[in-house]
Amino acid sequence: MKKKALSLLLASTMVMSLAACGNNDAATTDSTSNDSASTTEKTDSSDAKTDAATDSAAADYQHSTLKMVVNGTLTATVDNGQADFEAQWEAAVSERMGYAVDLQIQQLDHSGYTDAVGRLFASQDYPDVMIMSAEQFKQYAPTGILWDMADAYANAEFQNRITLTAINENLKDKEGRLYGFAPTYGNGCVTYVKKAWLDALGINADDIKTYDDYLNMLVRFHDEDPDGNGVAGDTYGVVAAGFLGNEAPYINYLPEFWQDAYPAILEDANGVWYDGFNTQETKDALLRLQDAYNKGAIDPESLTASTKIAREKWFSNDQTGSSGVFTYWAGSWYQTLTDNLVKNEVDSELVQLAPIEEVAAIGGYLNREAPVWVIIDDGDGDNAREQEIFDMFIDTMLDGDVVQTLWTYGAEDVHWSTKAESFTTNAGTDSAKEYNYEEGKFHLKQSPNDPNSVWKKNHLDPALVVSPLTNGYVDQSELAAAGNKFFTDNCIDAPSSPTSETYTNESGTIYDAKMAVVTEVVTNNGNVDDAMQTLYVDVVGATIETILAELNAQ
Amino acid sequence: MSKKNVALTSSGAEIRKKPLSLRIWNNRGYYVMFLPVLIFVLILYYWPMLGVRYAFYEYKPVGTPTFVGLANFEKMFGTNVKAFMTAFTNTLELSIVRLLLTNLSAIIVSLFLNEMGNLFAKKTLQTIIYLPHFMSWAVVASIFSLFLSPSSTGLVNGMLREWGILGDADKNIYFLANSDWWRPIFQGINIWKETGWGTIVFLATLSGVNPELYEAADIDGATRMQKMFYVTLPALGSTIITVLILNLAKVLNMFEPVFVLYNNAVYDVADVISTYTYRQTFAIALPNYGYTTAVGLFRSLVGCVLVLLSNWLSKKVRGRGII
Repeated sequence: MKKKALSLLLASTMVMSLAACGNNDAATTDSTSNDSASTTEKTDSSDAKTDAATDSAAADYQHSTLKMVVNGTLTATVDNGQADFEAQWEAAVSERMGYAVDLQIQQLDHSGYTDAVGRLFASQDYPDVMIMSAEQFKQYAPTGILWDMADAYANAEFQNRITLTAINENLKDKEGRLYGFAPTYGNGCVTYVKKAWLDALGINADDIKTYDDYLNMLVRFHDEDPDGNGVAGDTYGVVAAGFLGNEAPYINYLPEFWQDAYPAILEDANGVWYDGFNTQETKDALLRLQDAYNKGAIDPESLTASTKIAREKWFSNDQTGSSGVFTYWAGSWYQTLTDNLVKNEVDSELVQLAPIEEVAAIGGYLNREAPVWVIIDDGDGDNAREQEIFDMFIDTMLDGDVVQTLWTYGAEDVHWSTKAESFTTNAGTDSAKEYNYEEGKFHLKQSPNDPNSVWKKNHLDPALVVSPLTNGYVDQSELAAAGNKFFTDNCIDAPSSPTSETYTNESGTIYDAKMAVVTEVVTNNGNVDDAMQTLYVDVVGATIETILAELNAQ
Repeated sequence: MSKKNVALTSSGAEIRKKPLSLRIWNNRGYYVMFLPVLIFVLILYYWPMLGVRYAFYEYKPVGTPTFVGLANFEKMFGTNVKAFMTAFTNTLELSIVRLLLTNLSAIIVSLFLNEMGNLFAKKTLQTIIYLPHFMSWAVVASIFSLFLSPSSTGLVNGMLREWGILGDADKNIYFLANSDWWRPIFQGINIWKETGWGTIVFLATLSGVNPELYEAADIDGATRMQKMFYVTLPALGSTIITVLILNLAKVLNMFEPVFVLYNNAVYDVADVISTYTYRQTFAIALPNYGYTTAVGLFRSLVGCVLVLLSNWLSKKVRGRGII
């Protein structure tokens, strides 16, 4: 009897647990389904209703929970004051909308963002708004999942303050539909050189004018002893996260080597799409990389390094194995790189290298296509929900005042303040710096998770935003400002990414084939023509032809 | 009474079986206990299997799946055949060599451990060689990436240069990004990590060897080496074959060790089906899950053949199957 009772007890426990799982799943499914994405008071827009009733319903629509998916560009991360940012955003937007709005932030790993978004969508876990890279956006725009915000954008409250109108106008398709909104222009990478290394070898950065000058500098950084540790040959010229990037504009981490080559599918001046990888310019670039690699000018780990690894190696406390040159994002990253060198007690002065002649010939450093915010369309044919999301999220993002300040600088009294205060960064070291602010003076505070560095910005870079703040809040470091100016003075827009069904399906295979060529030529001293034929044309040649045919038929 | 309700006991006596419904009722407690497990297995193992139908669909993160027949398989064996077949052959080669090498090293280490007279030293050594098994592959990959780094801070390259194996004119070797080096390094890391764990089953077998066999060999004047070859090794024979057969069925399940150690420079020798599927699924903005399901289905079919082969081999060798 005891055994029977025990077996019944165990059995019912397992059944209950299974049932509980089932209930939970059901609840989750309900709450995350696309049709009901975070909607609390969704109005029935059945055909039977009159237009007037629908208009009324749209006006009454309230979207009280906003699910947002973002990558690492929201610098107010969980351990860096995100809760305060969220609370202040909710307070400001709730006041604006006239009802309480709950912001739910899902911040995904920056380097694995594309993967993670794919997984979210595959599990039907759609957010209300999310950020997409330009290339990702191009793939998703024709699918029908993104809401056409052209009308909402045209009627946005911030329209009369926009200073960079072309950015979003260029995002519209041929029919004038706008599926994504870029609050800033793209930004790009510039080449930074360690001043101490230049000085150690007696090199003047102003003398680096051509590729030969540049290569010679890199070779000397390798062959000589720029870090002054008494050992020659233990340093490198340049480090990069890959010889060829995996997202547009692909070549921005090593522009001096790629020069006029753009190893992707792109459009020529006549509007004809062609394969920029299988060109003489790309072959020449690969041979330049091969030559530099053989000379030790490029850190060999560049082949496999992620951006994080390349960065950390560059500003590492132990400069053995480090490099003198690093091409990375302009503007606030100029300050961030400097701060990291300071933190690691390495000579921190950097020189921004003016584009060498060969890079200047194409217009300078590449300004990437801007990342965009998109609104997920629930597909019910009623725009009330999407318009409400636009109003509460995108329209407020550039309100010029409270909400835009949150997106630009973060939370008040957490990331920035107008209260009188004094603080010191790197106290007790040679790099100690004291900051004193009077009452009423807008200023950035110490980073919540690093008291030795001053907070720089949140999501929007004040120097890149398409519609500036109107409240006069400006506190950009001299380096960041100089970096932004340097980039805008020396940049050109990167080519547009293609949109084609076959390209969408085969982009992974094509990238693998390209990388096989790059690796074979650069690191294995392979013959560039043979590698191009056997590892690229023979593998994906037919696919490329199909893509070009699709693109040129559009 | 029909014959179907009659069963024979071990002594050959006939006993009448009760009707099935009555037997179920009599054992209802056990059936009730079994029911949740059955539901659990159906929900978590069999229901997801319905997903294999997507191998015949174009199924993207957005939109409705569209039936495309065998298009995904045509792509696998058509436009993508080179990458797919590279991954497939790499999977078999890497897995089978890994299986053989790790077991061979485990056998050798077991034999030596078995010969050790000092129990303390034996236990200590066992513990030390077990430890790598408990390290995650991500940690192992980080450690070996540092050791094998091609930069001037790489430990192995530094030693090779110190010993004069690499001359001044030679470049550092990028072991993990060189197709000639990657497989030996990969197998070496596997041996280091899994040998200790692999010795457990062999040592357990050795502890059961009848000591009289050794005593008889001593009387016959056998040397220690002869005892190892003619007593210990034959005693391990059945276990070795069992371990190999059981693992043969799993050779296609290789992902983590490759994923953390490979890179795009060595796809030709390192890309396996799981990593190929991963990239096709997650490394592009708008993947077609139908295609990767088709790749997975093909892998499962081959895996199924291997399981049946293992079962057949097991029956031949051990007299009983594994399924």
